Amino acid sequence: MATSHEKGTFFALSYEAKYSDTPAFKFFVIANAIVTVYAFLVLFIPSESQLWGLVLALDLVFTMLLISSISAALAVAQVGKKGNSSAGWLPVCGQVTKYCNQVTGALVAGFIAIITYIILLLYSIYTFLNPLLGKNG
Amino acid sequence: MALQNEDKLEVGYSSLQPKPKKWVLLMLRLLAFFATAAATVVMGLNKETKTLVVATVGTTPIKATLTAKFQHTPAFVFFVIANGLASIHNLVMIMGDLFGQKLDYKGLRLAMIAILDMMTVALISGGASAAAFMAELGKNGNSHARWNSICDKYKTFCDHGGGALIASFAGLILMLIISVMSIIKLLIKPKPDSTTVVP
Repeated sequence: MATSHEKGTFFALSYEAKYSDTPAFKFFVIANAIVTVYAFLVLFIPSESQLWGLVLALDLVFTMLLISSISAALAVAQVGKKGNSSAGWLPVCGQVTKYCNQVTGALVAGFIAIITYIILLLYSIYTFLNPLLGKNG
Repeated sequence: MALQNEDKLEVGYSSLQPKPKKWVLLMLRLLAFFATAAATVVMGLNKETKTLVVATVGTTPIKATLTAKFQHTPAFVFFVIANGLASIHNLVMIMGDLFGQKLDYKGLRLAMIAILDMMTVALISGGASAAAFMAELGKNGNSHARWNSICDKYKTFCDHGGGALIASFAGLILMLIISVMSIIKLLIKPKPDSTTVVP
């Protein structure tokens, strides 16, 4: 399972806008950081260990966490880019362009991370279930 | 003789085991269906109209009518769509459980159910979290971006949105439990052919 992992975190620190201004971005950073540490630790588990069942369960939970974090960050970033005329919220991307670009880059990296993670999850389910299904059937 | 005893034991075991689990799973699916359907309906009908006095010309005040609809925010639209799809998924699964016992596609039925359940969990979690953070933005505003909070003006809209979010989160937890149970069923369910095959 030594596939390459790509996780996207960002620490956009422009002169005016920080990622910590919005709870959604904070959630995104924390979720991706947790998954990065977890993925790094999983790389070191030996092949035939008993822990792979736990890894499978945690994979499912972390995939869900990643999906929800990118969904939240995307929702807030969309408001920042396009604004919301009915709530009277003006788009801020005009003022802090560098921040917006960095956030966009982080979201793209997050998408790649999710796709990689889904493939990883399907692969680990397949690896885990195949010997068991072979025994039963 | 020993093989016959083993067969009897296995048949007895397998006929006893799935019964309580089957009803538990069905009840959980029913609850999840109600939760996600409630979230869809409450957010889908979320609309508030407010009439504000904008200016006064002479003695007649000029009124402006402002509405807050869920369609204004893409996150809420995604929320409604995700919960709607999740309720349809649950409905189809309940119907399949009750009426379609013979339907099987090359023995892949349980695997398909497990994968579809996981996809629905992912969908609901995305929709619920996006709507939750948008609702937090609407409630607290964002001083750095000069976005004012709208909940003091549209109190009913915010309340209904909050209720829909709670229902969706309850549905998410239920769907997570259902998904785990489906995967466990996939792991330990003895295949009906294995008891008749005598090595």
